[in-house]
Amino acid sequence: MKVHIEPKPQNMVNTFLLIFVIHSMQVGVGIQGFQRIIYLEARHDAWISVILGGVATAIIGFIMVKTLSVYENSDLYGIQYDVLGKWLGNMINVLFVLYFLGGFHVIVRNYIEVIQAWVFPEVPTWLLSLTLVYLVYYGLNGGLRTVVGVSFFSVVLSLWLVMLLAYPIQFANWDYLFPIFEAKITEILRGAKQMTFTVIGFEIIYVIYPFLKEKDRVHRHMQYGLAFTTILYLAIMVVSLAYFSGGQLERTIWGTLSLFKIVRFPFIERFEYVAITFWVLLILPNLMLYMWAATRGISRIFNKKEQKISWILLTFIFLTLLYPLTRVQINMFNDYFAKGALYIVFVYPLLLFGAVLIKKKFSRKKDEANAQTNE
Amino acid sequence: MFFKRKKDEVDNSMNQKNLVDKELIPVDKADFIQKMKDCLHDSADLNIKELQNGFTLIFLDTLTDKKMLNQDVLSRLEDAKASPNEALKHITVSSTSKHKYVEDVIDSILHGAVVVHSPGHPVIISAIVGTQENRSLTRPENESQVLGPQIAFNESLATNISLIRRFLTNPNLCNESFTLGKQTKSAVSLLYLKGIADDDMIERMRERIKSIDVDGILDSSILVQLIEDNSFAIFPQLLLTERPDRACAWILNGKMVVLVDGSVQVIGAPQTFIEFFQSMEDESVRWQIATFLRVLRVFSMIVSIFFTAIYVAALTFHYEIIPQTLLIPLGESRSRVPFPPIIEALLLETMIELLREAGARLPTKVGQTMGIVGGIVVGTAAVEAGFTSNILIIIIAVSALASFTTPNYMMGNVIRVLRFPLIILAGFWGFYGLMVGFCFLLIHLLRQSSLGTPFMAPFYPPRFEDWRDSIIRLPIGWTNSRPLQTRPLDRVKYRYQKNKK
Repeated sequence: MKVHIEPKPQNMVNTFLLIFVIHSMQVGVGIQGFQRIIYLEARHDAWISVILGGVATAIIGFIMVKTLSVYENSDLYGIQYDVLGKWLGNMINVLFVLYFLGGFHVIVRNYIEVIQAWVFPEVPTWLLSLTLVYLVYYGLNGGLRTVVGVSFFSVVLSLWLVMLLAYPIQFANWDYLFPIFEAKITEILRGAKQMTFTVIGFEIIYVIYPFLKEKDRVHRHMQYGLAFTTILYLAIMVVSLAYFSGGQLERTIWGTLSLFKIVRFPFIERFEYVAITFWVLLILPNLMLYMWAATRGISRIFNKKEQKISWILLTFIFLTLLYPLTRVQINMFNDYFAKGALYIVFVYPLLLFGAVLIKKKFSRKKDEANAQTNE
Repeated sequence: MFFKRKKDEVDNSMNQKNLVDKELIPVDKADFIQKMKDCLHDSADLNIKELQNGFTLIFLDTLTDKKMLNQDVLSRLEDAKASPNEALKHITVSSTSKHKYVEDVIDSILHGAVVVHSPGHPVIISAIVGTQENRSLTRPENESQVLGPQIAFNESLATNISLIRRFLTNPNLCNESFTLGKQTKSAVSLLYLKGIADDDMIERMRERIKSIDVDGILDSSILVQLIEDNSFAIFPQLLLTERPDRACAWILNGKMVVLVDGSVQVIGAPQTFIEFFQSMEDESVRWQIATFLRVLRVFSMIVSIFFTAIYVAALTFHYEIIPQTLLIPLGESRSRVPFPPIIEALLLETMIELLREAGARLPTKVGQTMGIVGGIVVGTAAVEAGFTSNILIIIIAVSALASFTTPNYMMGNVIRVLRFPLIILAGFWGFYGLMVGFCFLLIHLLRQSSLGTPFMAPFYPPRFEDWRDSIIRLPIGWTNSRPLQTRPLDRVKYRYQKNKK
């Protein structure tokens, strides 16, 4: 495997678009119901947990970009190969591929569950997953630029959904937010930990980095994207805390969707039907980029053409989606995935960064030693 | 290996040409006449005139201008000595040429020339005395507008180029000529401004035109399908216009224009999606009004594609989203309808399409009657018979109207046809099906390119500077740069400074 990548110029994307990639990757199915799980830990101080979760993403985002910028133009797969050697490196590469595929699977599962719970109880899972898989396949065939374009339009075209969140504010009871800091620090931290499933997605920077045009602006735009997401989550959390009472929040599985329920216009009511189906556009960039990242991984490890691999992977993932899971099992799967993601996204990057730094120091010493002997 | 084989083929064909096609002209008069007769298969309109002094004139009756032939060729040659140089000296026609090969002679006869053979010389003089069957210049009909020049291209390539040259009196306006079609040998011209249009883009266009291998090009709308990036796509990727001012505006923006002999529309490349919703009149009216009109057109495109499908989805699956006050009239009007919404909608949509198609194929006056009969009589009768609901008629009529606001005919067609799959998706899977259709269209649009440049620019990739003249139009001083889409060599169109006095 070559550590450094030289993408074709027609596959490169503007660094500016990284904002949209990061944001659209983070916003997916987690946002539909993150209020409850955090509220259960941190009570009405849950918004502090959201901020802490946002700060954590900013720090990890910084570490990730720093790791990548040690190399000239490489991605996660190349770095792990370089640092950890052929066998261990490729093993962890495969682990990451599995993680990306797992992300794809979890998103589709959760979304289909929402669709079946709220809109169409009787539409079969295979049909819904087939349409999603086909859309992903069609987008991936267009290349990275198409995929990034979908995430751009996904963010831009769904901004109006955010504005609808202003609607519940008129029924808000701001006293629900007080007193502040009633929860213990440990509870707030545990709440922040529960944010994992909602905020992950920005690890895509590990794979997309070599395809960005201006490398010196990557970090700035990454932080813009992360901040945008954090502000959005904070706004939703504050509105939810003020709108729902504590007891309601404990029982509301999909808090954000329930907020849409009360939106009413002269020509349309029960807005959650529109919102939930519109969510296809919000999860589409997630699915595409996860699948793209997995495809990149396989093609890097085995040195094969990407198009064929995306075919195989999509068929494979479609077959796994056919396996019937109950609500409890999906919940369990979510929890396992979130736990894994916590280590993969929030702990492992620190280790990798350390390893990269040591390797760099070591090789520089070696270079210096070589230079001296040459003299 | 691959290259070698290709080269061999080329060599072979060239040899063959030299042996067979590139035949020298017979010196003897009788041989020459026979040769010409053979080559043109003794065509009925082939006219062979032998003069007293030895010249032989051959031309096609149907292609030549008799008056010019008599005045400038026949009467002049009567006193001349029979040699090519003498003939050249006497003929008073501006375009004359010498030919050595039979093939060239036949070609010039077919282009309306009279060829002059002098006995004993292997050289032929040809003089173009062809008639230009020309329609007079008329007002643009498909892209008519109140403001701006009221002139349209016609079927003659020379006239069309002259129209563009009249707008753009510029020595940098380049005109490259191609001959396309094995059988038709149509003339195709590529026009662009040197120093503004990107050279790579021109080269790409040149390559695409050269690589076309068809038997005939009858219209620019056929050529456009041969040069566009993706002929499987639903959306056209290059624009056609019949307005010389629009073609010139494109050239000034660094685009290229392709003209085909015999077609009234010229091709402009590269284009973006949003340009299908712009019209030349937007440049003439106030900028606020232009912006309003453009937003209206894009809005009506969205309405036209999705309105009926939303109705079908909402009434089939999502009754809950309709407020109660609206639900009562809806229910009342649908209470007598025996079909599910999808059948009802497809029925009416098909009817509208039938009306439109019938109107388009009929003469204008009959077409109007058709519209009245179809629209009012059938529409009212359908509601009274309980076939459809009043509200659906309103919705379908509005979306049909909206599809006609698109300034481009081809895009309007696409929008109308797109409704059908979306109605079916909405009828099967409600809003979810609609969203899948929408996402498919979005990905489809993002995948397209126009002459290698992104089709969704300036929105994606975002080029905020170009937004000033996209779905909105800012005042004239703000839109003084050429769009990045064409990669112009000179970005600034003009420096805007208002005279203070």
